[in-house]
Amino acid sequence: MTKFVQRYNLLRTVLFVLALLAFCGGLHAAQTEIVAPGFRPVPPGVHALVDAKVVVKPGETLDSATIIIRDGYIEQVGKDITPPADARVWNMKGMTIYAGFIDPYLALENKNEEKPDKKDLGLTGGGIKFFGINPQQRETEGPGYEVGVVTPERRMVRTFSPDPRAIEKLRELGFTTANIVPGKGIIRGTSAFVALSDAEPNRAIIKPDVFQHVAFDLENRKEDVYPESFMGVIAVVRQSFFDAQHYLLDQADYQKHANTRPRPAFNLAKEALAPATEKKMHVVFEPRDALLMDRAIRIAHELDLNFYMVSSGQEWRRPELAKAAGVPFIVPLNFPVLPKMPNDDDWSQVDLDELRAWDWASENAAVLRNQGLEIALTTYGLTEKKDFRKNVRLAVDRGLSETNALAALTTVPAKLCGLDNLLGTIEPGKQANLTVVNGKGYFDPEAKVQSVWIDGRFYRVPSEPEEGKEEKDTKAEEKKEGVKPETPEEGDPNKPKPDTKVEAKTSTKEDKPKDDKKQEEKEKKLAKLKELQKRLAHPPLEGRGVISNPPALLIRNATLWTCGPQGKLEHADLFVQDGKIQRIGAHLFENKDVPEKTTVIKGDGLNITPGLIDCHSHSMIIGDVNESTLPSSAMVRIGDVVNSDTDNIYEQLAGGLTVANQLHGSANPIGGQNCVIKLRDGEAPEDLKFAAAPQGIKFALGENVKQSNWGDKAVTRFPQTRMGVQTFFANRFTAAQQYLKEWADFNKSGGLAPRRDLELEAIGEIIQGKRLIHCHSYRQDEILMLMRLMEQFGVKIGTFQHVLEGYKVADEIAKHGAGGSTFADWWAYKVEVYDAIPYNASLMRDRGVLVSLNSDSSDLARHLNLEAAKSVKFGGTSEEEALKFVTLNPAKQLRIDQRVGSLEPGKDADFVLWSKNPLDSGTVCLETWIEGKKYFDYSLEPARAKALATERNDLIAKAKKLAKLSDADGSGDGSSDDKSFFRRSLEHMYDGRERHCLDEHEE
Amino acid sequence: MMEGNGIVWMSMRNNWMRLRAINSFQNAQTVGRGVLTAPQTSPPHGSLGQRALPLLAVAVLFFIGTVGASAESLLLSNAIVHTVSGETLTHGQVLINGNKIQAVGTNLTQSANKVVDLNGQHLYPGLIALDSALGLTEIEAVRSTRDMAEVGDYRPDVQSWIAVNPDSELLPVSRANGIAHAEPAPQGGVMGGLSGVIALDGWTTEQMTIKRPAAFHVYWPEMTLDTKPKEKFKDQSKYKSLEDQAKERTAKINALDDFFHEAHAYAKERDAIKKNGTPDPGINPPWEAMLPVVRGEIPIMVHAEEFRQIKAALRWAQTNQYKIVLVGGNEAWMAVDVLSSSKVPVIFENVFKQPTHDWDAYDVHFRTPELLRRAGVKVAFSEGADSFNAALTKNLPYSAAQAVAFGLPEEEAIKGMTLYPAQLLNMADRLGSIEPGKEATLFVADGSILDIRANVKQMWIAGKEVSLESRHTRLYEKYKNRPRTK
Repeated sequence: MTKFVQRYNLLRTVLFVLALLAFCGGLHAAQTEIVAPGFRPVPPGVHALVDAKVVVKPGETLDSATIIIRDGYIEQVGKDITPPADARVWNMKGMTIYAGFIDPYLALENKNEEKPDKKDLGLTGGGIKFFGINPQQRETEGPGYEVGVVTPERRMVRTFSPDPRAIEKLRELGFTTANIVPGKGIIRGTSAFVALSDAEPNRAIIKPDVFQHVAFDLENRKEDVYPESFMGVIAVVRQSFFDAQHYLLDQADYQKHANTRPRPAFNLAKEALAPATEKKMHVVFEPRDALLMDRAIRIAHELDLNFYMVSSGQEWRRPELAKAAGVPFIVPLNFPVLPKMPNDDDWSQVDLDELRAWDWASENAAVLRNQGLEIALTTYGLTEKKDFRKNVRLAVDRGLSETNALAALTTVPAKLCGLDNLLGTIEPGKQANLTVVNGKGYFDPEAKVQSVWIDGRFYRVPSEPEEGKEEKDTKAEEKKEGVKPETPEEGDPNKPKPDTKVEAKTSTKEDKPKDDKKQEEKEKKLAKLKELQKRLAHPPLEGRGVISNPPALLIRNATLWTCGPQGKLEHADLFVQDGKIQRIGAHLFENKDVPEKTTVIKGDGLNITPGLIDCHSHSMIIGDVNESTLPSSAMVRIGDVVNSDTDNIYEQLAGGLTVANQLHGSANPIGGQNCVIKLRDGEAPEDLKFAAAPQGIKFALGENVKQSNWGDKAVTRFPQTRMGVQTFFANRFTAAQQYLKEWADFNKSGGLAPRRDLELEAIGEIIQGKRLIHCHSYRQDEILMLMRLMEQFGVKIGTFQHVLEGYKVADEIAKHGAGGSTFADWWAYKVEVYDAIPYNASLMRDRGVLVSLNSDSSDLARHLNLEAAKSVKFGGTSEEEALKFVTLNPAKQLRIDQRVGSLEPGKDADFVLWSKNPLDSGTVCLETWIEGKKYFDYSLEPARAKALATERNDLIAKAKKLAKLSDADGSGDGSSDDKSFFRRSLEHMYDGRERHCLDEHEE
Repeated sequence: MMEGNGIVWMSMRNNWMRLRAINSFQNAQTVGRGVLTAPQTSPPHGSLGQRALPLLAVAVLFFIGTVGASAESLLLSNAIVHTVSGETLTHGQVLINGNKIQAVGTNLTQSANKVVDLNGQHLYPGLIALDSALGLTEIEAVRSTRDMAEVGDYRPDVQSWIAVNPDSELLPVSRANGIAHAEPAPQGGVMGGLSGVIALDGWTTEQMTIKRPAAFHVYWPEMTLDTKPKEKFKDQSKYKSLEDQAKERTAKINALDDFFHEAHAYAKERDAIKKNGTPDPGINPPWEAMLPVVRGEIPIMVHAEEFRQIKAALRWAQTNQYKIVLVGGNEAWMAVDVLSSSKVPVIFENVFKQPTHDWDAYDVHFRTPELLRRAGVKVAFSEGADSFNAALTKNLPYSAAQAVAFGLPEEEAIKGMTLYPAQLLNMADRLGSIEPGKEATLFVADGSILDIRANVKQMWIAGKEVSLESRHTRLYEKYKNRPRTK
């Protein structure tokens, strides 16, 4: 590698760039640099590239034009330019010249690399200082943030020292500059913008600290270290930025009162977040999937950040959410590749969602662009960078215009990185970064990148000599496909066929003379391929959502289980308008009086109940239901990870469910904050939320929180006993009391605001009566314990969940005023439920407890009415009262009974049509309505299922044909992560699987 | 022991209540006022219902199912008799003599020592819980109470009935909803072992076991390919390509097939020793266990959930002319054609399983039994053999009921829990229907057994009336009577 004797520091580089700027307009700028003898001297800096097709900027092309380069910048560009006398003239006939391509998101570090020198962080603090939890880890010793994966102080500019081969591979794709991003952690650090030249690092660096980087990343995390769930990740992001904000205040306060107050702790990480916090630096979010992207946008707004988004490749699922971001997207092109299925029957395990993800992938860039969003392309996510051009081509084939694609490689990334004054177009004054392509141009897969120019220096592509290359590159991944001009790919016919081949087009083993016919065949094949590549996949939410939304609805002559004061009404009518129940009663309208545009349903023989309500669900949550690492995770919020896309919503609507209390799991005494949702299928996460429902939080007692069944390793975290559980709650509530006092004092007397502690804030809200406790509990002693302890803090518990020994202390629960939300008949799966009896609901009810039955299961949630019937059998609760266990009572427990839970005028028109008495095991849910809109219709199910099956069959047929035609190498089998065909989306990861309180996280 | 008093009290009370229950079934149509209508008696304090460790629970012998002796002859009259094998009799009579059903009709003339008027309640043959962990498990989370899964791929000589705990609290809970028999199944491995059939009544394992062995359990090798990308493996050396996995899976199936052929060879060897006096190398326990299997004396229950497994298992059975029963059948609906042509019966365990695929209809598993029936496939129901479901075996009728809600004829649903299981276990001569000559194992319910709201009111196993009391009813009675606190 070239070595420079004279070393430039960063400042001088910047000055040099500034000088270029100042003198742009044709003046000579720099003196020749004299390097010491023995080194290769610096070549003359004046070049004239003549007779080229010059794409000045996206959409503006000059034929047979000339570019004059002087000392690293562009002096002139145009059609009738005479090369200056001092210029070296380059004949560029047949070449297309673009502004040098920019990769705005280049990760050079290997994410999977295990660093042996990981250090346990001795320090803890804030919301994660708990006894016996696994220590946080960081790669280096020294000060920093309390969460090991929060390293905003990491600067790529400090460590930039790339492998020349990695840089070369990018030049082969036409890239001349790149923004080097940190590749590990959650708050990852700042990126550095560099030239992809051979210059030594100091010279190559163009701009330090371009962005701060945040990723919702759970890969390669040490087990049981906070955070290990997506909601935990989001909580960490939130707390870190709040901490950074407070840090600034704290430091400023100290400047003023240094002699009268304690010195604040220095914190490199919090300091490093300052520019982002103060909107001086953009934050780039890498959210991992479509719904988490929505969350990232909301977090960015909540924290008042300037931000950009990295595409997860999944925005096609909900383009409107991407649109709402309103910011440019950095778009990787790592598409799934077809696998080779060993057996035809093996396609039976391929889900529609996987097929859709595959079929949509290459269209995603166009989808984003069509939302009016600016996009920049990146090679990020491609382990084999050479796939980039092929995938750009696929994206273009699927609707991304070449102009937009070019902008995504030049002007857009230049602008995002704040370097559009220097880069992105071929205009006088810009840096002489050029990408030279022969043939028809970059988007023609046959055309080769012939050379790139970086800072006015020419780099041949490929830069290695042709001869000897074949021997060196025996490994498939080293093969430089599509970049060697005029040379057959595989010169040696004896050479074994490589495992990895991109497309049939590149294979030209045959003799040249016979090429004409071959060429024709090839073109035919290509045309056929292109035809095949057309998307067959439907938008994933098609067939879900509102089925009908009549202006008014009248159901006549049905049996109404009102669950309200009117009880059960036979031969009654239900009238709905504006999403609300308007009237109920016998024969509400004469035919002539039925309001216009009213949809009338003949209800003869039908039973109508309020929409069912599940007071304990984990069915619509992205990722883990537990942030199980810490004994208190009060700062995590289910509301951050509502899964609006899971099939569970539809399946549960099909069982008459309309409202679900999404709860954190029971892995810790103080779990996360809950989220009550309405099953408005098709809506975005935020729009599923039941806005009127008060906030709540999950608590848990007993075996789960003391880790009794977690194996022999889990014996260090406090608490390990039921004694300790009480101690723990008392401790956190006292801390929260103190926290409230700090804030009250501040609000009264001013001064320095206390640090926002999201854990104590949530617990404080319980004390303030703003947050309901939903406590997982089994044994009578622990039920009593929590009631008594909470009474000391003036808190009334919202509900005891499960509460399987509630029947033993029903009087006490009733007196305290907590609700009891129990299972109909689960028991004996662990010691603390050995005394669980199916009579529990009836017994508790008999003694005045407000009782509901819940699912805690995405199966039971499909037939809560049948669970209610079990209380008729066990303990003899009347049918009407049993039905209230899954309608009015959970509504009351969740404090939403003013809106839902019964059929009463003024309440939301959430109701279910049943074929029979809803407690009869022979009953079928025929229709489910929410707020006057129909979301489920049994009669449409066969057609829906058929459409899905047809779509899937079509996609499989396409996959098989394509595999045959393009001679698919099967690299999508999973041997390479970025190509794997089998990507279970986060939205559908748990579909078809039970989700319980203690669900383990995905490997 | 502390519990001593309670035990004595309970068993005495049992006897007393049994007598009362037999003589007083007037409120036939009353839905669900508790299981037993005995006068309220305050239970003694400090004994029952306290959490007992599993081992304690084992030690606490609640005298389940040992209530009195059977009457000489007993006439049950005025019942809706679900004979199952024949027509349902609206005003039916059943005459029990000793442990057998002597006569069934509407106008029986025989006299009986005792006559019970069932007031129009339903009478069903006892339900049979196929492929169950009943008796082999107590508390799922406590390893020491789990005895249903052994290790090793080839252990055909494992016998389930050996390890049944007669005092498991799970048994009376199941029995209280009409489950009279269960087939504890050994789990795990490929050649899982031998199951037996137990009656949920008896003092000892030996008394309870009414058939040994009843069936042989094969767990068809996993055929689903692991598609987790290599990068996602903690230990990347564990990654196997799809191709390699396919090879492995073929090898496993071949090994399974070979095993059966070797078992046949062993049987032939034994026959030759017996008939032709060839040299005897000595017996070999695993092969010995396979003798009734290869001689076709007991059915081969093949556990297979997935489409490819089902297809492969059926092909294997057909090639070798094995008589198999398919157990599990999650994706049986995808294999209706092959199932139909092979006439292999299915023990369906997935009614309340969520759809497996994102392209399935939401009710695909609700409909599967009817889909299979229409294709001429015999369908029996089971709650499956995992520990969690063992505790909920009582819900067996509701899986069947859900299938009825989605199209299966009611009689088929009942058959799927009675006669068909009896047939699949080769016990239809004794169990599964209310017919003269069969065991007098039947129960009274105050509604359709498919209706969750209905309660079982009285039950006989082999002619002997059994208690419907359980841990649940005991705790219920105890805490129902807890004095109110202020």
